[in-house]
Amino acid sequence: MRTRLIAAILILFSAVCLVTPMASAQGTIKIGVITSLTGSQAAFGEAHKNGYAIAIDEINAKGGVLGKKVELDFYDDQSKPDQAVQGVSKLVDQDHVVMLLGAYSSENTKAIINPVSTHQIPLIIPTATADNVMDSKSPWVFRICAGANDYARATLEFLKHNGSPKTIAIVYEKTNFGQANMQAMKEQATAAGLQVVAVEEYEAKAPDYKAVLRRVKDKNPDVVYFGSYLLDATTLMRQSMEVDLNPKYYTSAGTGFAAAEFPTPKGAGRNAEFTFSVSQWLPDAPWPGSKEFDAEYFKRFNSHPQYHAMQAYQSLQTAAIAITNAKGTDAAKIRDALKNLNLKTSAFGPVKFDNGQNLHTVLITQVQGGKYHVVFPANLADVKPVIPAPRWADRK
Amino acid sequence: MTALRGWRIFALLGVTAVFACLPLFLPNDYVLQVFFRIVLFAALGLAWNLVGGYAGQLSLGHVAYFGVGAYGMAMLYAHHVPLWLSVLFSALIATGFAAIIGSIVFRLRGPYFTLSTIAFAEVLRLSVTNLPAAGGAIGLSTPALFPPGAFWKMFYLSAVALAFVSFLVNAWTSRSRFGYYLMAIREDEDTAAAVGIDTANYKLRALMASAFLTALGGGLYGSAFQFIVPDSVLSGEISVQIAIITMLGGAGTLLGPVVGAVLLLAASELFKNKFQESHLLTYGILIVIVVLVLPEGIVGGLKQLFQRKTKPPASVAPLAATPAQGGD
Amino acid sequence: MPRFLTDFIQACMDGLLTGALYALIGMGLALIFGVMRIVNFAHGAFLMVGMYVSWVLFDKFQVNPYIGFLISGLFLFVFGYLVYRALIQPIRDRSDFMQILMTTGIALILVDSVQLKFGADYHQTIIDLTNRPPFSFGAFTLNRAALLSFVIAGVFIVGLQQFVVRSRTGQALRAIAQNREVAPLMGINVTMIQGFSFALGIAMAGLAGGLLLPALYLFPSVGEDYTLKAFVIVVLGGMGSIEGAAIGGLVLGMTESITSAYLGQQWALAVDFILFLLVLSLKPSGIFGRQRA
Repeated sequence: MRTRLIAAILILFSAVCLVTPMASAQGTIKIGVITSLTGSQAAFGEAHKNGYAIAIDEINAKGGVLGKKVELDFYDDQSKPDQAVQGVSKLVDQDHVVMLLGAYSSENTKAIINPVSTHQIPLIIPTATADNVMDSKSPWVFRICAGANDYARATLEFLKHNGSPKTIAIVYEKTNFGQANMQAMKEQATAAGLQVVAVEEYEAKAPDYKAVLRRVKDKNPDVVYFGSYLLDATTLMRQSMEVDLNPKYYTSAGTGFAAAEFPTPKGAGRNAEFTFSVSQWLPDAPWPGSKEFDAEYFKRFNSHPQYHAMQAYQSLQTAAIAITNAKGTDAAKIRDALKNLNLKTSAFGPVKFDNGQNLHTVLITQVQGGKYHVVFPANLADVKPVIPAPRWADRK
Repeated sequence: MTALRGWRIFALLGVTAVFACLPLFLPNDYVLQVFFRIVLFAALGLAWNLVGGYAGQLSLGHVAYFGVGAYGMAMLYAHHVPLWLSVLFSALIATGFAAIIGSIVFRLRGPYFTLSTIAFAEVLRLSVTNLPAAGGAIGLSTPALFPPGAFWKMFYLSAVALAFVSFLVNAWTSRSRFGYYLMAIREDEDTAAAVGIDTANYKLRALMASAFLTALGGGLYGSAFQFIVPDSVLSGEISVQIAIITMLGGAGTLLGPVVGAVLLLAASELFKNKFQESHLLTYGILIVIVVLVLPEGIVGGLKQLFQRKTKPPASVAPLAATPAQGGD
Repeated sequence: MPRFLTDFIQACMDGLLTGALYALIGMGLALIFGVMRIVNFAHGAFLMVGMYVSWVLFDKFQVNPYIGFLISGLFLFVFGYLVYRALIQPIRDRSDFMQILMTTGIALILVDSVQLKFGADYHQTIIDLTNRPPFSFGAFTLNRAALLSFVIAGVFIVGLQQFVVRSRTGQALRAIAQNREVAPLMGINVTMIQGFSFALGIAMAGLAGGLLLPALYLFPSVGEDYTLKAFVIVVLGGMGSIEGAAIGGLVLGMTESITSAYLGQQWALAVDFILFLLVLSLKPSGIFGRQRA
């Protein structure tokens, strides 16, 4: 009886071993993608997937790379760091991809840095904003997006040139993203001479932030900086109105405050007016290909892309260019091609890596008349910022 | 070690040897990682089995001990405790933690017990997320227990060792006075207390042993993946996974957790690579089918089938019983 | 009025508004867990399905969620009944843990099916009412949509309580709860009534889901926390007591709101669980409970 069971187990084991090695299709170049298709961050994984889908079709329509079709090999990290680590091994050791893109979240990206370095395979990070992902200084790691420190720096730079306020309150979500942005802003604001009068954390899943906002209101800050994800923006602004919080500047670390729906009636509507946000990218961004990407995305998925989709799209485009420049799929050659890459322009702006970090221009936008407008840096701005934001009582 | 006489001990050593030699035949690190996970969860399932299987106390909060193991190791090491000592200390901390939790939750029964184990684990997860000292939501880097060269091989072998120890503890429990007391508690706690078993004491001992093993597993896991966040090593999903592995294989049986871990984790990895997003659905459906068709788990079910054909030796009988059905 | 007092009263009022919805969720689980003794770990998943029904009506057919929630409730009543007959009834007499496993499996299937059908994307339901300036009196303000949800929830809370106490079905239900062996001898169709009350409990979750929709964002795993919260509410209110669950819901809402105001919002969920553990270990019959059945 027990022997039979043991036999069954052994058979199962060997079955697993037999099934796993799969031959890769000949004549294609395989790029590995780790992202969160399931789990708590699946919404963003979906944006990634959509962005990659558009990029790969464009690349292959143009005849692929080095005369071969490009093939994407997805690994779902289930929004868990340990699964992302396993993904590196699966994609590299077993599927023999030539390079990696991913992961989505900062946690999962942080987790794969070490294995990527030990596997000596180039990685492009599309979306991880927390700056600890770049701590390792690994030569194999390239980040295309700007980080939390860049967000804080750009926001403070903008404030300095536009009335230099004295006090700031930070409201952030209890996630890696929120905490990373809080830390970055707290350190840099203090260094820049702003007094941090309140630091408030909130839990995104609970819909009532009024208590948090009331405490901020008590401190009467000149600036409020939101480090929050996605749709919280709508609720935060509505409840700011409800508690009658009136800072001179509503600023934010992007995501929800930079989402296409936010300034429209499907989002915060009028409550969104006058809010500032950092933005990595907007459909209206002054870069060639931005509008086309937006249009194509809307055609396929019936919604406007968040910048996560663009970052995924541009990561794959960049990977394709690097492989072309490397004239082969040797990992070290691709790494060097990425190192030497100097893309004057793309749908995501210029791309050039400095110690692995893309020197991406962070835009500051303001919602005016239900639309995002770039207000900073001045050379890319299309309107002047409205400062201070009118008090809620004076808004119609 | 009355349970392991004659051929049984050879079988166990044989199986362990086969497991230990597996890395020689595996094609790459990825498959090794999958096997590491399988063997580790078999060990966790065996640890859980002491409480959930033999004592019939259905904990869905074991991730608390797992998380203490992982976080304790990382934090102690950061405070200059030698690496392996920090693994051991964090397991001891988890054991102490289990003593505290156990003394509260073991006063409760049935679903209240289960719910309060979840509540404890959740309070721990939320506290770690909220406290910057523990890295908050940003997480902590963990020290590597083994050098890069044979990294996954060593982790795999450690998991095999942990599973081996857990199996021995289970085997001893299944035939010792301690184990019989636990099973008596499972079948009818009031009667057990009435015949003079100090039920609270025995349940607590089982939980502490279980927590110790689970925390060792947590330490291994945290170190193997080199980076931990509350949502990975303190997520309620892990509690559920450990329990389901054991129930699927057969709670209160020796081989159940091993069979469950092999089936569930191998299936989950294969499904994931095949079906992308839809793989989670297969997991839910699998659980429902097991509950409907195989309530005693696979090993329990096979045993019943087997016992119907040939009369079993009387001493095997308690093993076949599950908390679900009471004694048979 | 001094400032600290107005702050406190405001926090209590905000808590009551949320609490009414918690009460509805908790009463649903009180029927299923407290009265029928089915350990339903899929309660939050059913709530999530209710939200999606209401959202689809809003998104595709422009049905206002304050009407759509009724359809959510009806849909979940039928759905709940079918789930009971197909999956719960066969394991009705099995151990708690089998029920926990089964309902965990059901929850997984529901969440993942919804994700496969609608994607993991976040959605929000913005209606005019939510974005209007709040209703204010004196130093206090209340969100209009939340206020409306509160009133509607109140109607259903009272309605359900009256139904269970007065109607023949409600009496049959309580009879089964008291003694499942004797009830059939009294001419009660136990299977039917049990299915009915399971469905009714699920329908309550569906109604609450519809009413929560304007206040929350929607994504497939939105219901997770609500499963545990629902159990906390039932335990707070005292097992088997429908009225207790209503009060338990209000208490939980206020606890969260006060925690947010004074300790920080990130601790609200942790305080829920600590309260739960305290009640279980100190006064297991619930804060307002009579003796446990």
